[in-house]
This record gives sequence, C-alpha cells and structure tokens, in this order.
Amino acid sequence: MAEVSLQNISKSFGNQIALQSVNMRVPDGSFVVLLGPTGAGKTTILRMVSGLDKPDSGQIIINGEDAANQSPAQRNMAMVFQQYSLYPHLSVRQNLAFPLKSPMLRTPADEIKRKVAEVAEVLQISHKLDNKATELSGGEMQRVSIGRALVRNPQIYLMDEPLSSLDAKLRSDLRIELKRIQASLGATMLYVTHDQIEAMTMATHVGVLDHGRLVQFGPPREIYENPVSIYAASRLGSPKINILPASLFPAAPQGAVQIGLRSEHINIGEGLEASVERVERLGDQTRLHLKLGEQDLIVLTDPHTKSAKGDMVKISPKDPLYFDANGERIK
Amino acid sequence: MSGNPIDRIATATPAVMAKRVRGLSDRAIAWLFVGPSIVLLLAVNIFPLIWTINLSFTNFRANRLRDAEYIGLRNYERILTDTDTWQSMQATANFLFWTIFFQVLIGFALAYLINKKFKGNDLWTTIIVLPMMLSPAVVGNFWTFLYQPQIGLFNYVVEFFTGIDSSSFSMIGDVSLAPWSIVIVDTWMWTPFVMLICLAGLRSIPDSIYEAAECDRASKWRQFWTLTVPMVLPFLMLAVLFRGIENFKMFDLVVQLTGGGPGSITTLTSIDLKREAFEKWRTGYASAYAVILFVTVFGLASIYVKALNKVKER
Repeated sequence: MAEVSLQNISKSFGNQIALQSVNMRVPDGSFVVLLGPTGAGKTTILRMVSGLDKPDSGQIIINGEDAANQSPAQRNMAMVFQQYSLYPHLSVRQNLAFPLKSPMLRTPADEIKRKVAEVAEVLQISHKLDNKATELSGGEMQRVSIGRALVRNPQIYLMDEPLSSLDAKLRSDLRIELKRIQASLGATMLYVTHDQIEAMTMATHVGVLDHGRLVQFGPPREIYENPVSIYAASRLGSPKINILPASLFPAAPQGAVQIGLRSEHINIGEGLEASVERVERLGDQTRLHLKLGEQDLIVLTDPHTKSAKGDMVKISPKDPLYFDANGERIK
Repeated sequence: MSGNPIDRIATATPAVMAKRVRGLSDRAIAWLFVGPSIVLLLAVNIFPLIWTINLSFTNFRANRLRDAEYIGLRNYERILTDTDTWQSMQATANFLFWTIFFQVLIGFALAYLINKKFKGNDLWTTIIVLPMMLSPAVVGNFWTFLYQPQIGLFNYVVEFFTGIDSSSFSMIGDVSLAPWSIVIVDTWMWTPFVMLICLAGLRSIPDSIYEAAECDRASKWRQFWTLTVPMVLPFLMLAVLFRGIENFKMFDLVVQLTGGGPGSITTLTSIDLKREAFEKWRTGYASAYAVILFVTVFGLASIYVKALNKVKER
C-alpha cells in the first residue's frame, strides 16, 4: 500500500544526536523491524515517519512524494505508542472507535460497530469494551492501543514496542495475529522492538540501529548469518553469539582480533579442550555452558547428551565469523 | 545518643511530658489532637448556626432590651413575599450568572493561549494573575475613579473606541449600567483565578494524547471538543463552584463601588441582609433571611457537587 524511504535523515535533540544520516527504504507491503538498545533512535525514526517530529535534515518520501509538508493525518498512518496514549476519559469501545469517527473516513455506524467488535475479538478484550480506559491493566491498555491502530486501513502501521507489556502466551498469540493481519492486508509495517524473537519471526527486513546510525538493513536471516559487525551479530540469536579472541583457534585471517561463534556453529568432538560448567536442558535442545581457558561460551548440543558438570569436551569452530579491532566484520 | 532518628525523637520528648503521654491509647491521643478543632468548630460555626435558626422564629431585635417573642414562620412569610427581597435575589442571580459566564469564557480562553508554549509565558501568567492579589476594597476604590464620567479612564477608553461621549454616561450612576459595572470589575479581578484552574487542567493532559489524536486523524477542532474540553471540564466546574460560592456572598467590592445603588439596583442579598441585621436591627427577620440564603447555597452546592462527581467518574 505504501513505500517509505528515508534519505539522509538526521535529527538531534539539544546536544543529543538521535539520528545520523539514516538511509532506509521500506518496500511496499514489507514488515520492517527496527532493532537496537534504548536510545539507538528507533522511536525517533517512527516519529519522523509519522510526521509528529520533523527531521533536521534529509527527506522522507512516501509513495514517491516528499512528505515534508504533510501532516500526520495526511500521511494516513496508524501508530501504536509505547506509552499507549489512550484517551483516558473514554471507554475502550470509544477509544477503538475514535479513529473511525474521523470525518475523513465517514464510516457508517454499523460498520464502526462491526470493526470494533472484530478487533476486540482478535486482541481478546471483548469483555472489557465498556470499561474506562483508565480501569485496565498495562497489558490491556497496550492491546487497546494496538486495536486503535488495527481498526483502520492505513498506508503504514507504525508500532513502538507493541507487545512489551504482555505475558508470554498472549505475546506469542499476538505475534502470529499481527503478522497474519499485516500479510492479509498487504500493509506496510514499521515495528520497533527489543525482542529478537519478534524480529526473527515477523520481519521481512530488519534494521539494526546503533547510536542513531543504521548499521545494517536486510532480511533477518541475512543479518543473522552475515552480520557486518559484532554489534549487529549480537542483536539476533539466543543464546547470544559467543565472542572470543581470534587467536584461540588456528587459521584466523589477517587482521582478525575476535571470532564470533553462534552456539550452533561449534563442533563437539575434536579441537580444544573445554570444561562443562553447566548443562541447560530446554527440552527440544540442550545447551552446554563451557569454560575454555578464561573464556565462557555456550554451545548447542544433542538434546539427549550425557555430558554433566565437570566433564571435558573438545570443541572446534564451524563457519566462524571474524571481526577486526573495531568490531567490524572481516570477510 | 543513639543515631536512630526515631530513638532521637523519643528521647527528645521532655521527661515530664513523656510521663504524662505514656499510658494513653492511640485513640486518646487522636482525640487529643482533634479535640481542640472540634470545640472551636462547634463554638464558632455550629452553635451560631443553631442560634440563628432559633432566632429566625422570633421578633428579636438586638438593640432593644425587650424579650424576644416566638412568632412562628412569620419572618419567613414576610421575606418570601417581600418584593424588595426578591429584587435583591434577582440582582444576585444576574450578578452570579454573568460573572461566571464571562470569567469561564475569558479564563478558559486565556488559559488556552497561555498553555501554548511561547517565550515569556511565565511572565504573562504573573501579570494576568495580579488583579487577584489585590484587596477587594482597594479594587473597588480605584474602579470608582476609573468609572468617573469626567476623568475616568474607563469612560475615556469607551469614547476612544466607540465615539460615545465619555461624560454622557456613568457606569455607577446609571440604573441600566450599574449592574454591569460590578460584573466588569469582578470579572477583571477574578478571571485570573479561573484561568489558573483551567491551566492546571490543560497541563494535566499529556502531549501524547494529542499526538495519538493527530495520528487518528482528528482535526484540531475535533481534538478540542472531544479531548480538551471533556478533560478540562472537571476543573472548570470546580472553578465555577468556587466562584459561585464566593460571589453569592459578594459584599465588599460592591459596597465600595456602588454601595448597592443607584436605588437598590445593585443591592445583592448579602448587602440587603447586612442592612436588615445591623442598620435596621431586625435581628429575628435577618436571621430568617440568613437561613434562607444558607439553605439556598447549601442546596445548590450539593446538587452541583453531585454533578461534578459524575463528570469526574465519566
């Protein structure tokens, strides 16, 4: 429905640099997840695209048109705010109906009713429709806030950590639900999260942000398998990628200072000796926490492994990633 | 001495006092604290009220030695059938309505403007709030000068803008203008108060609500009516309550300005009441008058507070 592209976007708040010449193209119908720690500039990007904030320099192009002079309403996007921003004096039903009552849409009353009921069903808040917005738990408020975006058919959905306050079960339900809605509408989605599972499962593209710079942008698998830096490599994958001195293992290329090994990229059976510190059994997989000299690392192994604390195992790298002194990838 | 603050406080209590206080239950101590204020309240509020109700059934006159006689509801009957009383009630009602109307309108508008972020809005707030800090007697006094037909600034300004000859009318002296003269002064003085309360209401609305509305494609107009107004309404109603109660008992400003005149056109109930009680010395009659006013204010205020609570719950 809409393609968004950010060209050389910079923004600072006082002395704080929020974004530094970010270039990003969000293709039509894609699900783009922005990853990065707090303060990396994820929310700032959402606010720029929404039109709530203006960039200091650079352009935002929506469907081929420069959006600089377009108001948030003209951009026709729906936003889910991190702090929910519900209308406190209205009921849940009125909150959900609010966007539909925009004179720009002229939605008939029974259509509003149907859509509100439908969205409430999906988000499992039907029983709370007549509550006041202030009488809800954090998770319920968050769902109303998502619902307020979903009742409309905007060009772009902007979601700022929409699932962060939900319990694990609901979160995995809604992950699937959001993905389904996005795919069936063919909507363009820009989605901010800390959660790497959300990024891996929902995204068609992942943007990794570091202190206001977009360090890598691409499909989640690509970022997982081909990260440009230690920073990008650490954003995805659970358990986190093991970063060790490159000199530990033979055959390091010129200039390599550190070696990155995902837990499934370690062969067990030959190579260096490491001691088992802890065995973590998750059912479908088992992780070994190893000590290799001074270094800690986590290795994925056979779910039915007999290894126990204190055992010695031999390990060697498989498909390692090498990084230079600045943490940049060496290919 | 021990370093624990609670221990220090405990040992700081003089031994004699400590001995006396020891052995008292929590409840007793609570009564000890609350007691004096209850006694005071009974003495200066509740007792006079009951005494007034009692006097309202008599023909007592505080300046005569003769004993009071109980005359039943005669005082009430006379008050409620007296056209002068009704006139002063009407004057009060008009005064209340128009002062509240203008103060809410202008106060809210000012608050709305001041709430926009601009340079020096703190300074403006202070300047706007100034009239409220003056004494009503002083305000009344200098407005009589402003209203002077020959030398008054008010009349001059009116002439400047409308071309009406400044000495052809007198705000205080003309029967048709005098009620407006007190409305203008009270509005000038107390609009800032309404503004401050509205400002508190406006500041309590987080920006993010408006951002959400912006994304939900609500126009500024719709944002104002569906978000701003309902969320400020409880504050606004509170301001109306305060101003209503205050102006129901308006006395000083009006006495200073018009003295209730010309004729009795600006004689508000409180002025009328004061004359009955302390100029004509009809104590019993004035007591009945006071009871009627009390019941009126009390009744209106409690209906109003109920409405206010309903709005807040919404």
